[in-house]
Amino acid sequence: MPDDIAASLAVAERSAFAIETEAGECYGRLLLQQLGAHPQRSLSVIQQHPAVAFARSGLMWLTGAADGEPQMCPVAIASCADGALAALASLSPEASALDHLRGAALLAERAAWSGATRRGDVSAGGSCRLLSACDARLAVNLARDEDWSLVPAWLQAPAADWPQISELVIQRPADELVQRARWLGLAVVRSEIPPVNRAWANRAWFTTIAEGPRKQRRENQRPRVLDLSSLWAGPLCGRLLAMLGAEVVKLESVSRPDGARSGSPVFFDAMNAGKLNVAIDLTTAAGCTQLSDLLDSADIVIEASRPRALRQLGIDAEARIRNGNGQTWISITGYGRRAPQDQWIAYGDDAGVAGGLTELLRMASGQTLLCADAIGDPLTGLHAALAAWAVYQQGGGRLLSIPMRDVVAQIANFDRPHSASALRTRWQGWQQLAAGEIAAPAADLPRGQARPLGADTAKVLRDWRVEC
Amino acid sequence: MAMIALKAGGRFKSAVSEVQVMVIKAPPGEHRVQCGGVDMLGANAPAPEPAAIDSADSGETLIGKRYVNADESLELLCTKGGKGSLTLGGAALEIKQAKQLPSSD
Repeated sequence: MPDDIAASLAVAERSAFAIETEAGECYGRLLLQQLGAHPQRSLSVIQQHPAVAFARSGLMWLTGAADGEPQMCPVAIASCADGALAALASLSPEASALDHLRGAALLAERAAWSGATRRGDVSAGGSCRLLSACDARLAVNLARDEDWSLVPAWLQAPAADWPQISELVIQRPADELVQRARWLGLAVVRSEIPPVNRAWANRAWFTTIAEGPRKQRRENQRPRVLDLSSLWAGPLCGRLLAMLGAEVVKLESVSRPDGARSGSPVFFDAMNAGKLNVAIDLTTAAGCTQLSDLLDSADIVIEASRPRALRQLGIDAEARIRNGNGQTWISITGYGRRAPQDQWIAYGDDAGVAGGLTELLRMASGQTLLCADAIGDPLTGLHAALAAWAVYQQGGGRLLSIPMRDVVAQIANFDRPHSASALRTRWQGWQQLAAGEIAAPAADLPRGQARPLGADTAKVLRDWRVEC
Repeated sequence: MAMIALKAGGRFKSAVSEVQVMVIKAPPGEHRVQCGGVDMLGANAPAPEPAAIDSADSGETLIGKRYVNADESLELLCTKGGKGSLTLGGAALEIKQAKQLPSSD
């Protein structure tokens, strides 16, 4: 990173909050400023030291070796999540359901329900591992069963389990392994702290990809949200918008529904209760037309696939925004929509590694660890909801790209001590502050159930005036 | 190089378009793989003699899609899309169904 930029960022951030208990509020204000949004009421962020917030949230309990003590991550992750959620709540003039939530709690709730725990260099969910290449450390996430069928092509040798993969990976250079994995659509990335580039000085975590006409909203209009996403980040974004009063429709493909349906029902309910459900056959021309019509009717679109997925269905997000009617389009990806990054995939755990958390943990603690549970997912969902609401309130007309890696990287770089010794000093102090405060993840059970696949298809197509 | 041995991880490029593929799995022995009616080349092979796409082939090979033969003993992943259909020994390869999404990550 250019040193002058790093230095000016560090100065700006240091002066932003003199007292560490204000980290969350400062971060929330930074996000609003980056989005050009104005809070409609004061930001309500609990005053808590970032180390205490991390320890009490369950995140620390989820970080560390399986047979060892929980480990502190020396960046203000929990406080930043609190700040992001408070920023979102502040955009609503009246009290909302968000007022009863804490951002930090959203990061650990999945582990609370699944009972997942810390496993060192293996993700809480089990599909992601930190492995050594001959010259660097990598995160390798084989989340889909079918990813295993690609491993021989990736490594150009047969490998059917993790020990065999590790033996082959350690003989190869990281760049080659990452490049080959990207051709295959596997989530493999180097563990490093991403450089802060110049474009990031003001807007680290999102990019406006396309702009078009904006539209004036009527007061008290309930926005229509079309949520095309799956798993965690996008669905969390839609859930938060529903809590702010939006009408959220979760759209799934009949032949390829959200994979989370076959996972924990509690988690799926928590993310998707309160959303209407539409299922469409996207393998037919008629289904693609219905999708296109629903997109036309939505005020906010949440989408978390690679850009090529909709393009191959004949849907051009950029053109829709440029020629559109003031829509807000949120595109969640691993690394962004520009070539070649638009072809790369990421899940929450490897995005956390790509965003720098594993490297910071290593610099501070000397251990090789994943940070918490798929951390990139809930952090991105939270930021995406804030971006969606802020842009919608400004009249829409924008396609925002929100890469998970960049969300994590902004938090990793927020008020980070830049020398290794200062980082280690902070870590020691924070580790001490956390002693006696460490709690396991905890979360209430979801109040409602998610709608069955396609339960509201006819109703939504009728209400949104789409031809069946 | 009409007949080539195919190994998992091997990469090939089209002689007539931008198409590139990687071998996911392949039957033993030597095979003839074509794109747009012309033999494909090793990914690092020197630039080929200019070749024309078979005018009867109006197909396109799509990035990210997996292409298989009838018994699915051959599977190629398209790593760069472009014009021309893929064939093995003259028989067209078909798109395999998309990967199911994971239940969690």
